[in-house]
Amino acid sequence: MSKQREPLVRVVKRDRIHPLLKVAFYLLAILFALTVGGVLLFAIGVNPLVLYKDMFTIGMLGSRFAYKSVEGLLTIFVPLLITSLALSLSFKMRFWNIGGEGQFIIGALAAATVALKFGNSMPPFPLLVLMFLASMLCAGLYGGVVALLNVRFRTNETLLTLMLNYIALYLLRFFGETQAPWNFYLSDESVRPVFQKFPEAAFMPTISIGKFSLNISFIFAVLICVGAYFYLKKTKQGYEISVVGDSANTARYAGMHVPKIIVRTMFLSAALIGLAGGFYVSGAKVLSTSVTNNVGWTGIIVAWLAKLNTFAIFGVALLISIMQYGAQAASTQFPIIDSNFADLLQGIILFFVLAADFFIRFKLVFRKNAKKQGGAAE
Amino acid sequence: MNSLDVLTLFLFNIVIYNIPLLYGTVGEIIIEKSGSLNLGVEGIMAVGAIFGYLIGCSANSLTVGILASFICAGLFGIIFAVLTVTMQANQNVTGLTMTTFGVGLFFFIGKGLSASWPVMTQYENINNGFKNPIEIPLLSKIPVLGKALFSHNILVYLGIFIAIAVWFYLNKTKAGLRLRAIGENPAAADSLGINITLYKYVHIVLGSGIMGIGGFYMGLNLGGSFEGSNCWINGYGWIAVALVIFANWNTLAAILGTLVFGFFNTLQIYSGSLAYAFPKALGFLDKIPSQLYQALPFMITALVLVFSSVRKNNKSAQPASLGLNYYREER
Amino acid sequence: MAAYAIELKNINKSFGSVAANKNINLSVRQGEILALLGENGSGKTTLMNMLSGIYKPDSGQIFVNGQEVSINSPEDAKKLGIGMVHQHFKLVDIFSAADNIWLGKERDGSSAKAKLSEVFLQKERFSEIEKTAEQFGFQIDARKLVKNMSVSEKQTLEIIKVLYYGAKTIILDEPTAVLTVQEIEKLFHILREMKAQGHSIIIISHKLNEVMEISDRVAILRKGEYIDTVNTAETNTLELTELMMGKKADLNIRRTKVEKKQPLLEIRDLTIKNDEGAVAIDHVNFYVRGGEMLGVAGIAGCGQKELCEAMAGLRKIESGMIIHEGESIVGLSPQKILEKGVAMSFIPEDRLGMGLAPSLSITDNMILKKYNQNHWNPFVDRKSARKEAQEVIDELEVVTPSTEIPVRRLSGGNVQKILLGREIKSNPNVLITAYPVRGLDINSSYTIYNILDDLKQKGVGVLFVGEDLDVLMSLCDKIMVLCHGKVMGVVHASKTSKEELGLMMTGAVNLSVVNGKVAGIAKDSAIKEEDVQ
Repeated sequence: MSKQREPLVRVVKRDRIHPLLKVAFYLLAILFALTVGGVLLFAIGVNPLVLYKDMFTIGMLGSRFAYKSVEGLLTIFVPLLITSLALSLSFKMRFWNIGGEGQFIIGALAAATVALKFGNSMPPFPLLVLMFLASMLCAGLYGGVVALLNVRFRTNETLLTLMLNYIALYLLRFFGETQAPWNFYLSDESVRPVFQKFPEAAFMPTISIGKFSLNISFIFAVLICVGAYFYLKKTKQGYEISVVGDSANTARYAGMHVPKIIVRTMFLSAALIGLAGGFYVSGAKVLSTSVTNNVGWTGIIVAWLAKLNTFAIFGVALLISIMQYGAQAASTQFPIIDSNFADLLQGIILFFVLAADFFIRFKLVFRKNAKKQGGAAE
Repeated sequence: MNSLDVLTLFLFNIVIYNIPLLYGTVGEIIIEKSGSLNLGVEGIMAVGAIFGYLIGCSANSLTVGILASFICAGLFGIIFAVLTVTMQANQNVTGLTMTTFGVGLFFFIGKGLSASWPVMTQYENINNGFKNPIEIPLLSKIPVLGKALFSHNILVYLGIFIAIAVWFYLNKTKAGLRLRAIGENPAAADSLGINITLYKYVHIVLGSGIMGIGGFYMGLNLGGSFEGSNCWINGYGWIAVALVIFANWNTLAAILGTLVFGFFNTLQIYSGSLAYAFPKALGFLDKIPSQLYQALPFMITALVLVFSSVRKNNKSAQPASLGLNYYREER
Repeated sequence: MAAYAIELKNINKSFGSVAANKNINLSVRQGEILALLGENGSGKTTLMNMLSGIYKPDSGQIFVNGQEVSINSPEDAKKLGIGMVHQHFKLVDIFSAADNIWLGKERDGSSAKAKLSEVFLQKERFSEIEKTAEQFGFQIDARKLVKNMSVSEKQTLEIIKVLYYGAKTIILDEPTAVLTVQEIEKLFHILREMKAQGHSIIIISHKLNEVMEISDRVAILRKGEYIDTVNTAETNTLELTELMMGKKADLNIRRTKVEKKQPLLEIRDLTIKNDEGAVAIDHVNFYVRGGEMLGVAGIAGCGQKELCEAMAGLRKIESGMIIHEGESIVGLSPQKILEKGVAMSFIPEDRLGMGLAPSLSITDNMILKKYNQNHWNPFVDRKSARKEAQEVIDELEVVTPSTEIPVRRLSGGNVQKILLGREIKSNPNVLITAYPVRGLDINSSYTIYNILDDLKQKGVGVLFVGEDLDVLMSLCDKIMVLCHGKVMGVVHASKTSKEELGLMMTGAVNLSVVNGKVAGIAKDSAIKEEDVQ
């Protein structure tokens, strides 16, 4: 019988990897991604260097309205940051909440309901508090019920949250497209169905710094980020999340009530996404059928790129927001580029980062190498 | 238009506007049967759509378009295969990225070509090939139904043919048996010397290719006109993911499911004319909000998911290792 | 034909930093039944998985029929005529018996018929499989779905599968573990038939009586190392026990005499089922006094794990009582039981499966069980945990750069020290510890023995589930022997012998009933039934 052929390369799990090497892999991944994006740009006749420059400076260079750019960037950044943070809570538990879109919509819808129902009869502060509580509660329940079904009946959470995204979307469209006397969401003045603008009391307050007006939802987002860090790192509930995520068996061994932890965390995750939705509509001052701006999907990419690390999420969310807003800004100079280029680039970056993960978790052993090891042992 | 014509047109449109869903669903069933949950249907269909259309137009051939959409979407699917099968990346994240990237690429190319975008009506072979129906002898002469069901373009027949062929392949061939074994218990298949990596790659590519044809079809349905804000696929990829569950991973049931989902989809547009044509019987249709029709596929699927888990029924054909990566030396 | 069907030379295999096989040499003759004997965790399954292509050796040579080969995949193994029946069956539940076999069939011949049957699934496959099974002497229903089969039927199917693919060498991993006595008889009959047909068989086992009954030769592994191969006819259970467990070593383990105290933990008539629903612990009675160390000896997998889990509140019991300081603790939450002072540490074979969260730091693992002691405080008290972690690191000489290293990155022995250290730090009055020195070097082991002895001196009742009989005999006060979930007797550690223990472990001697009376000391507690709530 002939000797079996030895495969050229074998995949072996790595024991550990030097942190610097890890960082190097990720940087290399981003570099590759930008290169591939650049080649694509070049192919359609856009100078990648110029575009990248415009994109990553969000068109602020030499602009008299640079502050406007920052304001615009923050409207994208705030919901993305909060959503990504919220998603990371459930992902840390290995619970696949991909229902960010739906939870965001429910949150936005709840806030809009309160704003339009009570906006003219309540002073701003209690109104805003009520709006955001409604956002959190409704979205929290919308997500929490999935967790409940999952722990009780093992219903697949990935697919169920996916379905709920669309149910929420069509609910929103229903309110946005149905003209009827009962429909207080729509404006009375327009012939076509248009969402009604919120009463002034429901506007998110802003702080003026010179010409720049800072929407205070940004401050809240930063607070939530810090809060999430403390929640995960310092509290018992955060500790429980990390144990359940690492090994549900160990969690049970330690006497933790695993189903309770999953439901609670998922409620919190969904509630925070709902809050992001509430913040967003309150800042935008009006509801819209495209209110999410894909934040539920992008949030997943952000959370994953950041390896679920709270502060890394802040950085990655900022980077992605810059890419998205920057692509829009660059479209003034390059009409064929729009925010979809940002999506494309995000996709490429994540592909390369996922590939880098592979080289971090595994190493390749080549045939010659394996022989040598064998020889050494004899 | 008399009221029976309205009915015929309604039924006709159920078929013509929704068979793309069948492509997406059948493609996803093949991939899921190999144990991979691919959430990138939307993106893969978008990639198949734009390349199929552009290449088809430049060759002025419907056949070339179909082949190009199949090949390009299949090649795009390789990214998913490399990342999840070889590199063991998380399937959910990879799939979602396929969607983000694919749709992004769709717009990127579309915008990049904006000035020189091919207009479908200028490419006779494609335009006529798609718009002139092939009538099936005899069957197409049946009143009402004949025109609605048996007088369609080649892509409709191809879609149904693929669904039936895939059913046969999965259930009646040895390769299909092996594929299902991999989706159920990869370790068992591996211990019998079945090349799991090869099988997964081949079927991810095959499934992606089929999705791609569906995307191409959607582009043709929209007259091949590129609009800056709307992707041709318009969420059908996600409905396909839902339909897989509704059809219980059976491609024959998927044909039926496509028609059921399509029924609601189309009702939304035709509820007015149907109510007008049959005021007594269908007058109520007008009162139902169109968004409900659109949401129904998702609601039904959500209910199917919940009920099948509550009843713990063994009839669910969901592959046991769906979504899990296989690494032989795992301990 | 070469004299040996299989020869392994200098095989090494490690998982991470754990060496599972160290320089193993093994040979299997043509047409013999070779028993591969060793305790759980001695590397038997790992070694056989390398023959069946699941794992790849780090180094070493494999010869099949005298030819050096390299087995890179199960496919290669199949081609070389090696088939393995795994302990966890590799079957597709929703497929029929025939399809489970048919899956791996390759085209035979180039006739049109063969080509057709390679592509399409035809009804004839059912009759073909049934016919082949019959040739090997099996009656099966080829259309029956695996999910509707009994364990024994599944095993038969696995054997037919292996035979169908023309395996000349057949490996069976613990085939009797899940079978009834009658089914075992049937299996042995089948194995003898197969041997008569010229197959070479390797049967992995740790049950001595079965090994004696079925095998021609016995190869022994201990702690990942090859010990010896002996002819079954020339050996006896005593010698095999010794080979499996190691020679009686003169261990100088400290054993302090402590004054007898009240029983702290008492088990009455306890019955527990395992995950598969079979009885794991069968009407067991015993007790542990304060200041006493009770050893538990037994072949791996005879109910130790279930017993430990039940006492810690992690597993439901079927019947019986678990009494702690005069109060029943049955039905209490694991947390409540821990608060009462019953601590449990169980080192599973993979060391990380139970009781540790591998990606979390040492500090975070230290507080796993008591992070919620102050219910009113929403924060985790890492400050004292870090201090405790540091104490454990110092006292047990854990090798680690800091307290904040993920446990996954520590070596096996250090992981164990953390696990045991945590239980000790919870100031228990009863400590249940299973395999605390599993895989540790001598020095670390002694450190742990001394710690346990210290606890005993403080009046703690210690239940020590061990695998090394020498250690049990030198460290414990009494030893309880389990065999298949039943107590075979409780003996004084200083008065018993290794032979006696070995015979009890394999069920050959039962000291629980002597002269018609229930022997031993398991019923003399002062606690009455009425006192138990």
